[in-house]
Amino acid sequence: MIPAGFEYHRPADVASALAILTTHGDEARVIAGGHSLIPMMKLRMAEMGHLVDLQDITELKGISVDGDTITIGAMTTQHELITSDALAEAAPIIREAALVIADPQVRYMGTIGGNVANGDPGNDMPGLMQCLDATYILVGPDGMRPVAAREFYEAAYFTAREDEEILTQISIPRPAPGTGYAYEKQKRKIGDYATAASGVMLTVAGGTCTSASIAMTNLADTPIWAEAAGAALVGSDLGEDAITAAIAAAKDAIDPVADNRGPVEFKMHVAGVILRRAIDRAIARAG
Amino acid sequence: MARDEFEAERTTYNFVGTRPDRPDGIDKVTGRARFGADMTAPGMLHAVILRSPHAHAKIVKIDTSKAEAAPGVKAIVTRADFADGLDGENWNILENVMAGDTALYDGHAVCALAATSMLEARDAAKLVEIEYERIPHVTDVDKAMAPGAPVIREGADDGSVPAGMHPNVVRYHESGHGDVEAGFAKADLVLEETFKTEATHQGYIEPHACLGHMGTDGKGELWCCTQGHWNVQKVCAALLGTETSALRVTASEIGGGFGGKTAVFIEPVALALSRKANRPVKLVMPRADVFRATGPTSPASMDIKIGMTKDGTITAAKGVFRLSGGAFPEAPMEFSAMCAFACYDLENVLQMGYDVMSNRPKQAAYRAPGAPMAAFAVESVLDEMCNQLGLDPLEVRLKNAAKTGSKASYGPRFDQIGLVETLEAAINHPHYKAPLAEGQGRGVACGFWFNHGGETSVSLMLSEDGTAQIAVGTPDIGGSRASMALMAAEVLGIPYENIRCVIADTSSLGYNEISHGSRVTYASGLATIKAAKDAVNRMCQRAAAKWGIDPDAVYWEDGYAKPSGPNAGEFDPMHITEITANMGATGGPINGHFEATPEGAGVSFGTHIVDAEVDPETGHTKILRYTVVQDAGKAVHPTYVEGQYQGGAVQGIGWALNEEYIYGEDGSLQNALFLDYRVPVASDLPMIDTVIVEVPNPGHPFGVRGVGETGIVPPLAAIANAVSNAAGVRMRQLPASPPRILAALKDRDAG
Repeated sequence: MIPAGFEYHRPADVASALAILTTHGDEARVIAGGHSLIPMMKLRMAEMGHLVDLQDITELKGISVDGDTITIGAMTTQHELITSDALAEAAPIIREAALVIADPQVRYMGTIGGNVANGDPGNDMPGLMQCLDATYILVGPDGMRPVAAREFYEAAYFTAREDEEILTQISIPRPAPGTGYAYEKQKRKIGDYATAASGVMLTVAGGTCTSASIAMTNLADTPIWAEAAGAALVGSDLGEDAITAAIAAAKDAIDPVADNRGPVEFKMHVAGVILRRAIDRAIARAG
Repeated sequence: MARDEFEAERTTYNFVGTRPDRPDGIDKVTGRARFGADMTAPGMLHAVILRSPHAHAKIVKIDTSKAEAAPGVKAIVTRADFADGLDGENWNILENVMAGDTALYDGHAVCALAATSMLEARDAAKLVEIEYERIPHVTDVDKAMAPGAPVIREGADDGSVPAGMHPNVVRYHESGHGDVEAGFAKADLVLEETFKTEATHQGYIEPHACLGHMGTDGKGELWCCTQGHWNVQKVCAALLGTETSALRVTASEIGGGFGGKTAVFIEPVALALSRKANRPVKLVMPRADVFRATGPTSPASMDIKIGMTKDGTITAAKGVFRLSGGAFPEAPMEFSAMCAFACYDLENVLQMGYDVMSNRPKQAAYRAPGAPMAAFAVESVLDEMCNQLGLDPLEVRLKNAAKTGSKASYGPRFDQIGLVETLEAAINHPHYKAPLAEGQGRGVACGFWFNHGGETSVSLMLSEDGTAQIAVGTPDIGGSRASMALMAAEVLGIPYENIRCVIADTSSLGYNEISHGSRVTYASGLATIKAAKDAVNRMCQRAAAKWGIDPDAVYWEDGYAKPSGPNAGEFDPMHITEITANMGATGGPINGHFEATPEGAGVSFGTHIVDAEVDPETGHTKILRYTVVQDAGKAVHPTYVEGQYQGGAVQGIGWALNEEYIYGEDGSLQNALFLDYRVPVASDLPMIDTVIVEVPNPGHPFGVRGVGETGIVPPLAAIANAVSNAAGVRMRQLPASPPRILAALKDRDAG
């Protein structure tokens, strides 16, 4: 449990961080809260010559809600997500999801940027960002480019981010007033990754579902935005048939593997239960 | 001699029973406490142990030539560097510390090296070439004793095993009394069921760590985290082929043991490397090695048959307990058998145990070794019988409870015991009457542990200012420095804060058995009281000499020597500080000492109540409420006693719901990290409520019974009963994880 040797860098601005990444290429990695990367380094599953610590870069911190857009700096901690009144008002599902991540100690250090950028399928925020249709801002030597969360994840730990790019910011369209929401998670115990988790956002008008977005966590090698599951609810009365169809569609979209949390059949079953509860809770909150 | 008021049973105390601050608190919160890995020495080397990746394999060749040539490497050891000609348990320990010609489990030590830095040691370890030839393995206890199972060690049977059994069955136990078949014939209901539990780890946060320095002259020093450094001294000396007294062992502060640090794993390796390099060697186990190669509990497979009349009287009970202690003969199956029915006053009882070898690490003690699994099986059957007969489960236990004078299921008659008192306290506790909602269930269970005395030496030294130091030899794993100081304060009549208790090294005090068997507050406590009384007698003699009266005419009270009555003469009471200030001139230093193997450790019983909620859709269990009721005899420091009760419940919750050793098809451990071996944390748990019952132990001056182990005996059973009652299906295998609960529900619904 001792990492291999590395050089430690602590730049004060994004330009300096990019310069280090450009110089060292895939020999360098950025580190945010360190709750994914440091364990990987200690297990020698990740080795790099240069570690670029982003904690002194103040431009990467902060939450703002401006009109229809929520902007969250990559270095914002889970604890800051939980305690932000502005966020609680604009998109309370983020607080709900952040509260089921790990434990308080981890949430004081762990950041949203690290959580979404690392590409760990066990992380909760990637699925939630897909559910919210967030956009990640990547900054590299050639400038800035946005990538949709729904298009960011390619495989476990593989994402659309290039080695010399830094994920600096997350931009989320503010959910319409009255949007129903829920983030539901089953885990073995406090501190564990999800056995199955699901994020649901939906709107209802006159008894008919007018929009729905469903994402699933830790049930495939990437987070899964189950487009067909959301589509199964839209236009329906959110009755049993529609919900059953949505769950079937979501189960079609996921591909869990057996591990110490349980066999595949068990995970598929729990995924269905968790999604049903999330949908029920979102419906109850929609107004 | 001075009048000895402490020989009479005490009922009022000035210090015992209070809750002062713990003496190690500031050390631990400021980082001043030195744990195993905190020791350093000039010129120290760092060691790495290479371990078998295979569950069972012949070691064909170990080529260390490339590693020897690597930068910084100073010593490499294999089995050839340890003593030969050992037998019995020392041979088994050596066989576990460093494999001989066969690797017996995933994680078995095969070779070790030491280098000038940790990184160099790790790099060099990669250059050691070990050739294995895999052979068939078995990790499941039932499969290990089935025909055709691979034989772990031919001829390991100790002679007690019935004919015709598989050679992996190496020891057999049978005990009981009466005629169980006649008893079953009298029953209205006879229930027979089979249960299984997986191995669990003690889960201490501090990994094993030591620093050893041994010269070529065979003399050495060792610092290590252990529950018993005299045992470490004895075992290391044997494994290294040196004299016991040549090795001085100092116990560090200990970051959890729970029985797991009663065994020797890495210390002889550090010393062997040191002897070869002639430099101090530090060895700290990585977490994964702690899981793979230090003592888990035994997995257990058990058959229980109980007969009961309609009114809840148990007519007969029979149990079969199959435990595996890994690739070594020492599974605590006789403790399972002997504790299984010990809570009940039975006319007819029979219990049998089988010790089964398999390709797992050598089991180590874990609080009341063997008893929690047995209680799970027995108390589950009792719960099911109460359900079927429509009887209150605590009333049935009370009806059958062992009492003072009952013949224990394992043989002797009980002296004064407090099971009935714990049951009555549980029945009258508000928890037992609280309503339950839909989907919730309540479980109860009783538990028993023997408790132990053991070889003990204690010295107490007075300083010229009237303060005292106590040297004990039992590492403090549960608050014993506080309880020793409280008991000494009671005898000496000086403030708790004026007494410092330290854990002496092996060259500073006589032999002390390991801190195990819930023995420390009992045995070291008894010796502390006697040592303090020894010092008090000496102080009374000094006062008598000064007053010119007979020492028998002086008694000690609240820190003063006093003349025992008008006939003794009129003298002002003499305070301890007056005596100690001049002790150099009045006869020399005043110390007290006591050594013995006390035999009066009182057995201990507890009763637990648990409420659980089971989510029938996901199989997830939530513990809603938990109450521990246990007999402490006399609680010396009640906060620590409550901590022991709560800790037992929490570890039991982990064992019952989450924790297990998961072996793959290839026999390798799949979850050797806390990420996948999940122990409960504070946020998983409700507040654990505690009730301290005090039925004095006649074998201790203040009535103390050990409290460290009984608390983990009932939880597996109580939680399994709560879960079974909540889910409406009997859970016969632990942990009751969500997939297992869902599978049980599915089986039930399928009929």
